[in-house]
Amino acid sequence: MLSVSGLRANVGDKEILRGLDLRIGPGEVHAIMGPNGSGKSTLAHVLSGRDGYAVTGGTATFAGQDLLALAPEERAQLGLFLAFQYPVELPGVNNTYFLKSALNSIRKARGEDELDAVSFMRLIRDKLKILHLDDSLLKRAVNAGFSGGEKKRNEIFQMALLEPKLAILDETDSGLDIDALRVVSEGVNALRSPERSMIVVTHYQRLLDYIEPDFVHVLYKGRIIRSGGKELALELEQHGYGWITDEDAAA
Amino acid sequence: MSEDLATWLGDMTPSDGPAWLDAWRASARERARALGVPGSKQEAWRYTNPRRLFEQPYGDGAARLATEALAPLLIPGLEADRVVLVNGRYAPEHSRLGALPEGVRIGSLARLLAEDPAAVRPHLGALADDATALFPALNAAGGADGLVLLLAPGARLERPLELLHVTTGETPTLAQPRHLIVLGEDAEARLIERYVGLDTATAHCTNGVLEISLGAGARLEHERLQREAPESFHLSTLYLCQQARSHYQGVNIGLGGRWARTDIKARFAAPAAECVLHGLYLSGDGQLIDYHLDVDHGVPDCNSVELFKGILYGQGRAVFDGRVFVAQDAQRTDAAMTNRNLMLSERAEVDSKPQLEINADDVKCSHGTTVGQIDPQMLFYLRARGIPEATARRMLCLGFAEEIIARLGDEALRAQVATLVGDRLEAAPLD
Repeated sequence: MLSVSGLRANVGDKEILRGLDLRIGPGEVHAIMGPNGSGKSTLAHVLSGRDGYAVTGGTATFAGQDLLALAPEERAQLGLFLAFQYPVELPGVNNTYFLKSALNSIRKARGEDELDAVSFMRLIRDKLKILHLDDSLLKRAVNAGFSGGEKKRNEIFQMALLEPKLAILDETDSGLDIDALRVVSEGVNALRSPERSMIVVTHYQRLLDYIEPDFVHVLYKGRIIRSGGKELALELEQHGYGWITDEDAAA
Repeated sequence: MSEDLATWLGDMTPSDGPAWLDAWRASARERARALGVPGSKQEAWRYTNPRRLFEQPYGDGAARLATEALAPLLIPGLEADRVVLVNGRYAPEHSRLGALPEGVRIGSLARLLAEDPAAVRPHLGALADDATALFPALNAAGGADGLVLLLAPGARLERPLELLHVTTGETPTLAQPRHLIVLGEDAEARLIERYVGLDTATAHCTNGVLEISLGAGARLEHERLQREAPESFHLSTLYLCQQARSHYQGVNIGLGGRWARTDIKARFAAPAAECVLHGLYLSGDGQLIDYHLDVDHGVPDCNSVELFKGILYGQGRAVFDGRVFVAQDAQRTDAAMTNRNLMLSERAEVDSKPQLEINADDVKCSHGTTVGQIDPQMLFYLRARGIPEATARRMLCLGFAEEIIARLGDEALRAQVATLVGDRLEAAPLD
């Protein structure tokens, strides 16, 4: 599904990713944890094609294609989805119009017909239920004036609608209270399938109580320094990152 | 110089109408001649040279609009009575007025001047201060027709009135419509004023004047949609005078024309009135969209809002020249003037000059301008959802425009404007 090898990326003169390797198979959920500044969000952004990062080395192959050569919209059309840590407010851009444009752009790229208005609305209402979202959301501007929890739920709602092959959840738990976290996690879990992979980027173990990963990776100074099963997250919770980063420093 | 103005000044021979009308027009001719064709050295003409307007010959404007040519110009789903002017002249064959409520008079200025001049005399030229303004003086001298909308106290238009200007013909046409809109005490109306140009290669010229008078407690919703042909010149001067507790809401959409200049001169004549002026303009290659607002708070307790937003692309240019004047006695004035511009090109240019002149000490007034580009974070968010960059840009432009489009009075008009703006942006060069 996704194969990242020796990935290096700079922000300005500063090297953030320093030779990162990661392989994700179909249906797998990988958690990426790590202390602040380790490069977690940079990885999410580089994979989704955001401006402002210079890839200086390595490769990333997604669904058989050279991911790094594609425009952000082409990556999305190929089935990559980024759930933003800070969803952007788009004043004046109607949510329904936005969702329809996104869905139809992706369908068109896949060679599918655009959905007619009736089928689209039926689909939308089904997906809203999964996230316990009110359909008044459809009349509003995208994320404009949404609470933190609504923004995060709206991200997962979009994911449900666009049905990606690989979803990257960038600190989706940040800023959520425990109830919102449960709703968002249930939404994500409902979307787990043998064909859909996920990268869950998080600072805390807490989210992984709800979204159980198959693999856990520790990112430190731009490289993955430890990988394991979900028990690794529990160890990190008990002992902090220190014991791993110290080992890394000693090595 | 004077021969340049001959077409504009109209027929000099005395009419068989009332003597006061001939005298009024003759004096306007004198003022226009005295003002002369402006040069680009004058401050008011810094951004454009209007000489071409006076150097090109104009046809007689006799071209008519075929019956079947009207339908494509109408807004789908818009429920309104309609007065159509073709090349500045009332076209009864295209107009449609239902049964009018009591106290409502709608008609052609030329007809009323011929049939019932006494009904028009108190209003014609009553608000227009054209002593220093060339184009309104030319309109007074040479303008022959337009809309008269008179509402008696308490009268109310049941349906909106659409005032549709069509300019057509293979040779340039000069149209100088003059409209009188007079709402008596507590009267209410909605007016949708549209300008449509048909001939894309002809440099037609429209020089319109509106005089709008709102009695105490009267309310007017006024939407103005200007989409003249690309080579056209569009000049429009609106004089507004508001009595106590009256409410005016204007939405100005400026899309067409090579040079489109709109002057709005609003004046509060009594306290506790409100004037809301919204605007949305698009300016692309070879275009100058030019707004001049002058809002005069001469009395206390009035509110005004001026919010104009522009989208500029290619080598488009725009001017926003706004002034709010607050007199010494105009305490508790609340005025907010804002101009926001979205620049899609480095070659586009906007001159924005919002000004406040405040002489009272207990007021709440603000003014501001922004000039910016499309937010890269917003653009990335859309692209990360699979939306191609060009579509994403258009969506963000329409989002920027939405704040003004949302002020339009009904869905048919909102859809029409959103479509026109979207189509223009689709054809716009990306750079």
